[in-house]
Amino acid sequence: VSESVVARSPVVPAPPTTVVSGWEVSARRSAAPLRLSDWTPLAKVLLHGPVRGEIERRLAVPHRRSGRAGAGRLVVGAEPGTWLVLAAPGTAAAVAGWLGSVGAAAGEFHRVVDVTHGRALFRLTGQDSAAMLAKVCAVDLADEVTPNGAGFGSSMARVTTGVVRDDVADEPSYLLHCDRSYGRYLFECLLDAGAEFAIDVDGFTVLDGFIVSDG
Amino acid sequence: MSTQRWRLPPRPGEVIDRSAPIRFTWRGRPYSGYAGDTIASALAASGVRMFSRSLKYHRPRGLLTASYHDPGVLVQVGPEPNVRGGHRLAEDGMDVRPQNVWPNLRFDVKAANRLVGRFLSPGFYYKTFMRPRRLWPAYEHVLQRFAPGGSVPDAPPPAYYDKRYAHPDVVVAGGGPAGMAAAVAAAQAGARVLLVEEEHALGGHLRWGGDADRGALANLVAAVGATDGIEVLTDSVVTGRYDGNWLAILERSRRTGPGPTATGDSGAGSLPAERLIKARAGTLVVAAGLIERPYVFAGNDLPGVLLSTGARRLLNLYAVRPGERAVVLTANADGDAAAADLAAAGVEVARVLDARRGHGLVRARGRNRVQAVDCSDGRTVECDLLVTATGWTAPTSLLNMAGDRPVFDPRANRFFADLERLGPDVLVAGGLAGDGTVAELVEHARAVGREAARRVAEARRRRSTSDATVPPPPDGAPEPVPALGRDEHPPMFTAATHGMVDFAEDVSSKDLVSAVAEGYDSAELAKRYTTATMGPTQGKLELVNTVAVLAAATDRSIAVTGTTTWRPPYAPVTLGALAGRRFEPVRHSPLQPWHEAHGARPLVAGTWIRPDHYGDPVSEVRTVRERVGLIDVTPIGKLDLYGPDVPKLLNLVYTNKWSRLEIGRVRYGVMCAEDGVVLDDGVTGRLGEHRYLMSTTSSGAETVEEWLQNWLQLEHTDWQVAVTPVTTAYASMNLAGPHAREVLRRVVDDVDLDPEAFPYLRVRTGSVAGVAGCVLWRIGFTGELSYELHVPAGFGLAVWEALLAAGRDFGIGVFGVEAQRILRLEKGHLIVGQDTDGLTTAASLGMDWVVKLDKDDFAGKPELAWRQQHDGQLRLVALQPVDGSLTPPEASQILEGHSIVGRVTSSRWSPTLGRSIGLALVAPHLATPGTEVTVHLPDGRDVPAVVQPAHAHVDPEGVRLRE
Repeated sequence: VSESVVARSPVVPAPPTTVVSGWEVSARRSAAPLRLSDWTPLAKVLLHGPVRGEIERRLAVPHRRSGRAGAGRLVVGAEPGTWLVLAAPGTAAAVAGWLGSVGAAAGEFHRVVDVTHGRALFRLTGQDSAAMLAKVCAVDLADEVTPNGAGFGSSMARVTTGVVRDDVADEPSYLLHCDRSYGRYLFECLLDAGAEFAIDVDGFTVLDGFIVSDG
Repeated sequence: MSTQRWRLPPRPGEVIDRSAPIRFTWRGRPYSGYAGDTIASALAASGVRMFSRSLKYHRPRGLLTASYHDPGVLVQVGPEPNVRGGHRLAEDGMDVRPQNVWPNLRFDVKAANRLVGRFLSPGFYYKTFMRPRRLWPAYEHVLQRFAPGGSVPDAPPPAYYDKRYAHPDVVVAGGGPAGMAAAVAAAQAGARVLLVEEEHALGGHLRWGGDADRGALANLVAAVGATDGIEVLTDSVVTGRYDGNWLAILERSRRTGPGPTATGDSGAGSLPAERLIKARAGTLVVAAGLIERPYVFAGNDLPGVLLSTGARRLLNLYAVRPGERAVVLTANADGDAAAADLAAAGVEVARVLDARRGHGLVRARGRNRVQAVDCSDGRTVECDLLVTATGWTAPTSLLNMAGDRPVFDPRANRFFADLERLGPDVLVAGGLAGDGTVAELVEHARAVGREAARRVAEARRRRSTSDATVPPPPDGAPEPVPALGRDEHPPMFTAATHGMVDFAEDVSSKDLVSAVAEGYDSAELAKRYTTATMGPTQGKLELVNTVAVLAAATDRSIAVTGTTTWRPPYAPVTLGALAGRRFEPVRHSPLQPWHEAHGARPLVAGTWIRPDHYGDPVSEVRTVRERVGLIDVTPIGKLDLYGPDVPKLLNLVYTNKWSRLEIGRVRYGVMCAEDGVVLDDGVTGRLGEHRYLMSTTSSGAETVEEWLQNWLQLEHTDWQVAVTPVTTAYASMNLAGPHAREVLRRVVDDVDLDPEAFPYLRVRTGSVAGVAGCVLWRIGFTGELSYELHVPAGFGLAVWEALLAAGRDFGIGVFGVEAQRILRLEKGHLIVGQDTDGLTTAASLGMDWVVKLDKDDFAGKPELAWRQQHDGQLRLVALQPVDGSLTPPEASQILEGHSIVGRVTSSRWSPTLGRSIGLALVAPHLATPGTEVTVHLPDGRDVPAVVQPAHAHVDPEGVRLRE
């Protein structure tokens, strides 16, 4: 990709903006107790393989759970026989290569698809996260039901959404990803639902768990 | 400004804040009160005694219960009708008005109904307005003027209505002493508890009790506050219980006024006005308490007749003196306490009639307020206040919804829950279970709370045993719940005179007796005939009295007569709360910001928002035909297919052959369901050895994916095929027109665009405008030389702008969906769903080349093979009206004599041909080119049209798109 070409999320970034790994992102910083940020630039790669096969054993992440792999990759057991890997922006090719090698080593039929551009991804962080999500999502978000590391699919404001509980520094945090075309709608719904909790838009911050490989 | 001359000096348990005065208007005049006052208490403090007129006879009505259920204080607050004035807190600036009176509350013309009351018998409406039927419109017009209730605002309320989901282990319905104790015990046992209280504060009857009650209240409230795991909702009510302990909980007015906006940039931190909570509870503890029941006697609805709990609320919560001289009819300790409270507050208690000692009353006298009471011993006592304490209604509504049927105890003279009928997920505490001291009720409730928590934990433990072959662990021992007693109570339902039974519906005991005389002698029939229990109070005050009157009139016991059925909702729910936030998902292309900035007129296409046009679709058509145009086609469905068995799958789902599709080639296909009906169509290209990209119609993407998965997961589990939806992974755009290749050449380096290297129906991958990973198709929905470009979505806008810049000197323009529809119709390309319907098979399309019956098998083949032998289906043909200036609307019928033999499926005026064109489904005998058919226009005219030799009206040889 030419350096002059900038990738954009479905959500218009809140000013000020900057460019991270070729993506236009918001550089806004918020210290609000409940924060919503657009993490669409993260690399997102799907791996399809057999249910309960060698690939699953090698990834060691069952359905409805998530776990960190090397290089800050978050592996999510998205569906039976399907894993979604989230990683730092610009690393989709590397992640795809890694997943391809996992599949090849397992000797099982598999398919790796880069869906970075096909999914919108948001991070919701704060003590009130679960209470806010309860306004748009019917799943029980109590710690004993969906603890840190849980991953599941649900309707969220009537949009099919993947949810990953990924707490940050002891604060409840959820990664929410949906079909990119619904991204703008879902982002607005989340802001609307969060208004009573004084939600604020936070910019894109790459955390330790999602290392930017290209600096 | 009225003075609060009926306000008492500060009381120990008052809930008003005397440091926060408020001002509001009643009937347009200024009134004052304090924060914490209800509308009713604030007005009562200023001496207001009449608040409304009754439904039918427009009799004057005052306070009865001074609570949410008070039928006499339904008022209009600003634009909001039917506000419960006995519950809604008064606010500064409120505009409060009486409802359904004219010209005013004091002098109401409709009170003339009282004069003709003897003609307004039960069933009056059924008997009077049914015949002659032709007069019903006139009846309706008049009756509407007598309809009760306030004025519905023209505009939607600005309030923010909301919903949320909850998954508590235990829901406790009722925040009185039993409810609080149960909640604390359940939470201490490890359960997550939702404690729901209808009043504005926890406490139940302890709130308006004496020193001992207030002490117990303080201890219980402190325990609730100190216990982790309890969420308390006040001013909220469990309105319904459904299967699986699915509970509807209405969280009421937490804040009025506009809520947050969709963008969240205003109103941040504000709370919704009302919220419907959908709770899935492990265990429901019903601790709804008891509701005091009125006594039936002549004049019992006069302003100045109060229930003992109503009097004590006014005295002890709001420091309002309800009268100057009182008579108290008491049959229980609460009546005794009310008499004592009245005396202590300086009200002259002229006489206490103790029903336990054989005392009684006959009637209350007065015109617009109580002036005297005739006692059963013949004495008449002058007074302005009559307080009655004659027993209780058990609000078993939630229990009934859980399958329970209340049981009448003739000794206690009230209904109780039938605990034996309740399932394991519903428990009962407090007055619904029995009687006792506060300490006894609390002890019982604690045990119930612990048992509720134990049952939840047990259920969770059983669920966590994932191995079905292992028997679940045995249940733990149930918590021992002490039994509650039942206090004896005199049978106090009606006096010797007739009086009002249903205050909200204006149904008297005399009406019920008349109904029985007419044969409506069961509770359910009499209810529907007289409307007793069908008003805003929904039986909470009047059900037991209704049953008692019916029992007496039919010479049966109350137990045998039984009750009517309690159904959800327990309390009224606003339409706003039911609706909640409006979640209507919409989908946007990555190019949407550009469309909005350039004046695109939006088209709602399913969930997609697409540019219909940019001002002049005809001009957009000409741009494509004469120069070059660019359209956003992102919604086209796209599926990534991968695996060695993809050709098998394609052969199965498409009607044509796919075994020999070479890498780099694209083929059009039609997909049918098993009945041969067209499911979808599109092109599929082979990008690599095992990699294919399938396109579908915009609306068919999900259906096709499910269709493919259905075959793979259920029928051919051994096939190695992976299907991944990638519709919005790409921004899709179509560059079409004679100069398309020249424009594209300026932004593509690594793909040879020469016609020989990249001919029609081929696919390539490469870079466009510096963006790698793009897919380029040479296909032509518009009938022009065109390239469909699928670009990684995040870069879509960049590529779109690059193409427009590259094409500027060729006169490039953008075009929308409307221009595309015209262009494709000129070319004769069908749209599945528009030119087909639920009966259109592939054999009807007039595209026999795409149906290969010599294939081994494909979905729909048997049906299509049969069709070949028994051809009677409509055929899709191109049609041109003889008069080219006429464009028959789509769906216009095609007639043969008086028979309908087809319809126009698509029609437009063609800018290219300067005439109208169309596609139509016609009977097979009319499908021959050159046949003249008759099109019936909506205005009644019949016009001739001619079937064309091919679907394409423009360039039928396909020269332009193959250039």
